[in-house]
Amino acid sequence: MTGTLLFQSLVLGVLLGGLYALLAAGLTLYFGVMRVVMIAHSAFLILAAYLAWFFNQQTGMDPLLSLVITVPLFFLVGVGMQRLLITRLRAATLTMMSVLLTFAVALFIEGMIGFVWSGTQRRIQLPYSGASIEFFGARIAVVKLVAFGLAALSLALLYLLMKHSRFGQALRATIQHREAAQLVGIKTDRVAGYGFGLGLATAAIGGTALSLDATIYPSLHWHWIGPLMAIIVVGGLGSIPGAAIAAMVLGIGQSLLQVPLGTTWAQTIFYVALFATLMLRPQGFFGGRLAQRF
Amino acid sequence: MARLAALVVLAVVVLAFPTAAPNAYILSAGIVVLSYACTATAWNFMGGFTGYVSLGHAAFFGLGAYGTGLLIRDLGLPSFVAWLAAGAIVLLVTIPVGIAALRVRGASFVIVSISFVLILLLVFQAWGTFTGGSDGLVVPRPFPDMLRPEHHRTFFYLFAALLAVMLVAWWAIDRSRFGTGLKAVREDEDKAQALGVPTRNYKLVAYVVSATFTGLAGGMYALWFGDLDPIFQFSIMLGAYMVLMALLGGVRHLFGPLLGAVIVGTGLEYFKLEFGDTQFHLVATALLLGVVVLFMPDGIIPAAQALVKRFGPQDSSIREMTAAELLERNRAAAPATTEGDPTAEPTTAVGQEGRHAEGETTTEGPGEGEGPRRGGPGGSSRGTSERMEDAAPRPRTGPEEDR
Repeated sequence: MTGTLLFQSLVLGVLLGGLYALLAAGLTLYFGVMRVVMIAHSAFLILAAYLAWFFNQQTGMDPLLSLVITVPLFFLVGVGMQRLLITRLRAATLTMMSVLLTFAVALFIEGMIGFVWSGTQRRIQLPYSGASIEFFGARIAVVKLVAFGLAALSLALLYLLMKHSRFGQALRATIQHREAAQLVGIKTDRVAGYGFGLGLATAAIGGTALSLDATIYPSLHWHWIGPLMAIIVVGGLGSIPGAAIAAMVLGIGQSLLQVPLGTTWAQTIFYVALFATLMLRPQGFFGGRLAQRF
Repeated sequence: MARLAALVVLAVVVLAFPTAAPNAYILSAGIVVLSYACTATAWNFMGGFTGYVSLGHAAFFGLGAYGTGLLIRDLGLPSFVAWLAAGAIVLLVTIPVGIAALRVRGASFVIVSISFVLILLLVFQAWGTFTGGSDGLVVPRPFPDMLRPEHHRTFFYLFAALLAVMLVAWWAIDRSRFGTGLKAVREDEDKAQALGVPTRNYKLVAYVVSATFTGLAGGMYALWFGDLDPIFQFSIMLGAYMVLMALLGGVRHLFGPLLGAVIVGTGLEYFKLEFGDTQFHLVATALLLGVVVLFMPDGIIPAAQALVKRFGPQDSSIREMTAAELLERNRAAAPATTEGDPTAEPTTAVGQEGRHAEGETTTEGPGEGEGPRRGGPGGSSRGTSERMEDAAPRPRTGPEEDR
């Protein structure tokens, strides 16, 4: 492997890792507020990509503008899902049953996408689709840079929101200790709903970013959910920084392994990391008290 | 008695189906349903007893199927020897996977189970030289000189036999101490552990048994169908169907998964026939799964039982015999008390509900000499003191409230 190729893979890995980090942060939010493993996260991701494609198809405008519609829409869907579906489950079996429920949601979305837009592969053609820039000898596609920028910006916003707003404090309190949060007057049910909506909003952003340079088809979400779930376990369930770091490391790892091994085998790094984590440190590498119980 | 009659009817229906089936298509659909029933019942060894939902049991199905096919192709083993050997391979593979997966509870377990299917799908697709990749793997038929209808009929009985073995095994575990330990894990894992149930080993054994049976079902499918493709063998959908069938029928009941498989399997075949290869079956599966999880998480069998009970005689809290009569009865029963007397058995929190109720109604009351010494909160369902002394010390199989 030459130096340039290595550097190219490294840069691509960082760009991919950014997108993984944003999506894994969303998964972590659901898990934090509701102890729910949201299988449908990547299905919503693909749905957002389809909406961006459809928006571009209908209006001819840049798919990034579809964010104006999809982000609030997904936020509301997320709140609705938490309020109407997840809270109906029995507390004792919540973790297991919510997996099945969100699995059903994922199947429903996949089926409806296939029904409405057919199973044909779709791709957005943009004026800057083929453009790329030179970066210390590595050629980086502009769309990948835009996607990464979008993901990084959203993650930064999410960080600011979580750390420096009253809502973020309430959300973190709810994640850390629900009863204690209630005692200090936080309406944990409402906060949990908003947390769920926020998680789904990351799927909207991620999906739009994905639609810029990926070919999409209804069953694509299965290729995303495995790596994402591996990331949140490796990072430690419930820890957003842990998920972000694990996403970066594994994204770069996947990108580097693609050169000698090819795309299919490179994907197995996520599962190898997952099993290794469970054997060595079941609570994940950055997980705290929360992760130990799950 | 009614149960026995139902069992006989069920057996007759299953055995008569191949002769009654009007054409080969119906018969092959019957085999598909039966193979679904096998996988769902196998899934229920883990899901039903321990409450650990595995969405990835298709991995073991695929391993069993591919193991059988590859052993026949590469080692030239006789078909059914290869089938058993593939089952053994699945058993060996499951042990390390199970140890990794069971180090965590709940959420992570599901993640691991799904990941295992995805990883095997990747490997079997990518490793084309060994597995045939996406071109598929052709498994030689075990009975080459059989005509198609005869072949179908033979495999229908083979699947039925496999299912019968699984049902007997499930029934035996259900009544064993091991089964009680597993159910204790399902109800409250921490308490079970505190009471000395070796939870990890129990869970691992249940997982391995469940996976091995799933692998055997997969191997049988490979022998019958004769053509394997990673997409269909290592499909998350297959794992989801197993969960859906078991939940729909009722995971706590022996025949729950079978019932669910008959309903879902027939539905799937119908959808395939009516709508062909559209996305409709995904939507229908999704809606059914959602409805089951939200409104009927215990399944059809308990729901039906509750309905029957509602229209049957009402339970009353008023005892229909006087205290004197009860005393008389207890005295008469006391010398005859043996170990097997269900009324003398301390009610375990995880025991059969029927037995629980029986113990409460027959021995509750002012029995002679009954003191408060063994009665904790809700601990009034004890026999008389002399009976307690007669009864041999019993292995503690579940959480008891008075220790």
